[in-house]
Amino acid sequence: MVKIATKNPSSGRAAYPYLLPVLIGFTVFTVGPVLTSLYLSFTHYEIGAKPEFVALANYRELLGSQLFWQVVGHTFYYALLYVPASVAASLGLALLLEKKVRGITFFRTVYFLPVVTSMVAAAIIWGWLYNGDIGLLNYLLSLIGISGPKWLQDPNWALPAIALMSVWKNAGYNMMIFLAGLTNIPADYHEAARIDGATAFERFRHITLPLLSPVMFFVLVITTIGAFQVFEQTYVMTNGGPGTSTLTLSYYIWETAFEFFNLGTASALSYLFFIIVLIFTLVQFRARKRWVFQP
Amino acid sequence: MTVGRIIRSILMSLVAIVMLVPFLWMIVTSLQSPETLVRFPPQFIPRSPKWSNYAEVFSEMPIGTFFFNSVKISVLGTIGEVMAASLAAFAFARMQFRGKKLLFGLLLATMMIPFQVTMVPVFIIMRWLGWLDSHASLIIPHFFGGAFASGAFGIFLLRQFFESVPRELEDASRIDGASRFRFFTTILLPLSKPALAVLALFVFMGIWNDLLTPVLFLSTEDKMPLTFGLAVLETVQHNFRYDLLMAGTLISVVPILIFYIIVQRWVTDAFLRAGVKG
Repeated sequence: MVKIATKNPSSGRAAYPYLLPVLIGFTVFTVGPVLTSLYLSFTHYEIGAKPEFVALANYRELLGSQLFWQVVGHTFYYALLYVPASVAASLGLALLLEKKVRGITFFRTVYFLPVVTSMVAAAIIWGWLYNGDIGLLNYLLSLIGISGPKWLQDPNWALPAIALMSVWKNAGYNMMIFLAGLTNIPADYHEAARIDGATAFERFRHITLPLLSPVMFFVLVITTIGAFQVFEQTYVMTNGGPGTSTLTLSYYIWETAFEFFNLGTASALSYLFFIIVLIFTLVQFRARKRWVFQP
Repeated sequence: MTVGRIIRSILMSLVAIVMLVPFLWMIVTSLQSPETLVRFPPQFIPRSPKWSNYAEVFSEMPIGTFFFNSVKISVLGTIGEVMAASLAAFAFARMQFRGKKLLFGLLLATMMIPFQVTMVPVFIIMRWLGWLDSHASLIIPHFFGGAFASGAFGIFLLRQFFESVPRELEDASRIDGASRFRFFTTILLPLSKPALAVLALFVFMGIWNDLLTPVLFLSTEDKMPLTFGLAVLETVQHNFRYDLLMAGTLISVVPILIFYIIVQRWVTDAFLRAGVKG
């Protein structure tokens, strides 16, 4: 009786009305544009004019330009600063909140607040904290005898400052993912190890870390992709400056497309960017067997 | 054991302070006067808090317009995306059709595509539709899953939830003569309130906090939402009064914080659910 209703032979077609809105959006805003920008990357194209086919000229030009490699370098440097710090911070937050103690909901909410806040608000607030002359950060540093740099105005400090702000802003998100992973580790394992006399650190090293490694892998992959895409921070805080010191790929693509209106070049850049992201993701999947625990 | 607990509590509190200081500093700054603002060392507790900054920010900057635009775009966009995602999630959770697995996989795979790749063509589409510098470009795509994400996250989240609702419920309502769509709207959706609330929070948060899409599609000031407006005020006017800018920023942050605090008890649960399979 029950089966008849669910295995209705007409249900194949019945699904389409439900899927239609998303299918239209998927075609118009994703599949179409992915193919279009691939085509545009082989053209010289300005808004209003007809795309003019130039084969690989855009790619050749980019790969031969010094600025492109500088920008790639900045992007990698940012990822190198941001990803390890961000993953470590969120794991630390999750470990702090792992035990059910009083006020846990309050602390979880507080740690998650920056995630809920917009990047624009965070960037404005931190831009003020980072103010070289009257900023709070340099005041606090001066209390312990350090005279702080000009942060966002200093080519050497601007990118690390953006990375630090982003760690603060995003740590709560991965913390939630880690917390979900931690609750999936059976309490018996810790109990058994404790009875055998393992210290807290040993338990962390030999139980928590291995069992958490699949979650860690997921977090690492999405955090790396996110780091490569850094855009709003630079848009609000530095516009890629001082000089080109915070010009990363994502911002460079935007600038090429919507400030210099070289839409062909921007498309080629976006594909190079896509390839870089893909390579990094594939490398991470390749390296997975080495360190991710598989039961 | 108790020593460990005390150390943990102290650490938790220290971290909480670090997380909160930027917010507190925003509040403190928003109550300074132009004279106390530039004082160094800074005044930690303004001696005479200038509450009038919050009135001034509305007269000096178009914060009221920005706020209205943000509310309009976010509310309508959220309604659209939650509708589109729940419809599709229902099909994926409860129906059989050809290519189901492939389509679901494709939708999830699109979450991996960086927005930079589709940005230029989507801009061209909006221009062709005549939606540039109009709120249509920011709202209507959400009724189709969104311009830069295909609603994949929402479909994934809701599908998990819909699948957990017992099939017997659907069979019973169908035997009573209700159509599938009626079951969906009168039984399944009301049962899914927690999942819908979490999705609504994430979508609303995404739109409210989004800078990229407004920057791409809008150009005139009276159309801008808070993010774009504040970013323009911050970058264009270098010697801008930070007291007012902070008051404006606070106004942009408060609604989303309230929304989050209301639904936060469901958020952890949603992460747990997504985490089990992801």
